[in-house]
Amino acid sequence: MTSPAATSTVVRVRVNGHEIESLVPVRLTVAELLRDRLGLTGTKVSCEMQVCGVCTVLVDGDPVSSCTALACDLDGTDVLTVEGLAQGRDLHPVQEAFMAANALQCGFCTPGFIMMAVALLEDHPDAEPDEIREWMDGNLCRCTGYAPIETAVTVAASRLPAATAEDDQ
Amino acid sequence: MAVLPELGLVRSDDLDEVLAAVDYDHAPYAGGTELVPAMGLGLRRPTAIVDLKRVEALKGIEVDAGAGTVTVGAAVTHRRLSDHPAVREHLPTLAAAASWVGNARVRSTGTVGGNLCFAEPRSDLGCVLVALGATAEARSTRGARTLPIDELIVGAFETSLAEDEILTTVAVPFEPPGMSYWKLQSYERPTLGVSLVVSESQWEVTVGAATERPTRAVIAAGDATGLVAFVDGLELSDDMTGPPEYKRSVLQAYLDRTLGAAP
Repeated sequence: MTSPAATSTVVRVRVNGHEIESLVPVRLTVAELLRDRLGLTGTKVSCEMQVCGVCTVLVDGDPVSSCTALACDLDGTDVLTVEGLAQGRDLHPVQEAFMAANALQCGFCTPGFIMMAVALLEDHPDAEPDEIREWMDGNLCRCTGYAPIETAVTVAASRLPAATAEDDQ
Repeated sequence: MAVLPELGLVRSDDLDEVLAAVDYDHAPYAGGTELVPAMGLGLRRPTAIVDLKRVEALKGIEVDAGAGTVTVGAAVTHRRLSDHPAVREHLPTLAAAASWVGNARVRSTGTVGGNLCFAEPRSDLGCVLVALGATAEARSTRGARTLPIDELIVGAFETSLAEDEILTTVAVPFEPPGMSYWKLQSYERPTLGVSLVVSESQWEVTVGAATERPTRAVIAAGDATGLVAFVDGLELSDDMTGPPEYKRSVLQAYLDRTLGAAP
């Protein structure tokens, strides 16, 4: 048991493949850790109520709202943010598909949509359009770009197994 | 970004240590999907959170074939509940409802216990669990007690738990034949939820989301007048998703259509 009501705790976590050990205040959110302490500002914050999805990151592969998750819970986990997707100059297939489909206007919601799509396609590479729509339902785009976003995720779903095969060559 | 006030952390894998720590100022904490936004808005200001996620006793999903129940730990997430083979087999309606809660992020972190203890009226699980006749176990350093979910949720955002008690498990009887759950939802929470258990002799109707707490009635099969009286007697909420008259009209239409009981 940690000493009663300690107001900070040590967290060891992998962020985009890098091991990090940090003494974090209990009140620190995952978004604050990423943006303010690690400089990973690709993750955005907006509604702070788990509704809009712009702050989505993956914790052990599961999508999590980083605005309302506490960093003290990250100990021993693997965190993936939008900055961790590209391999050097090669974009992730989901990022490629968003570009190809013009699935963004202002781009503020894009990291969240992309991380949600990555989480879905890692688990269900053959996701059907209905599943994609239901899964992405928890993300908001105020430029009303939903149709191209749906197209991008559908295209990424159709290309992902092929993209993985190319990586293996 | 709203910065949370200074906050302490009590963390243990031992249930007794957790129970010894919980009181009004030391808030039980699991997924944080309700508590963290509430703290951000200043609606809840505990001095410390008591992390329940490392207590194995709160994370089980156990089937008792003899008793015909599935017992679910309070710290089980919606995702684990909806994906679990035993839940899908014995409680398919509950599994489906859990798979539609909030959004995929809420389902990754939000827990059954948090959903019930926050007692937000616009909840799917509360309605389905009342319809199933589920029972909660509440525990404190003073001991354990069991109570129906119907008596755990006593009002909007209100449970019958004492300040030093936590919900530990929910025992859910296997789903009866003829069960269903339907909801009307435009935003992240349901506007109206209806769980039915239909047999040749009776209609069990549980209405949630638009009511302060899940409200259940047993009506003789075919008693369209009794059904209308039940629907007319419900106190329905007035909020952004519509006035009570609208929700009553949708509810009556759904029941008429589903039960084939238009008077």
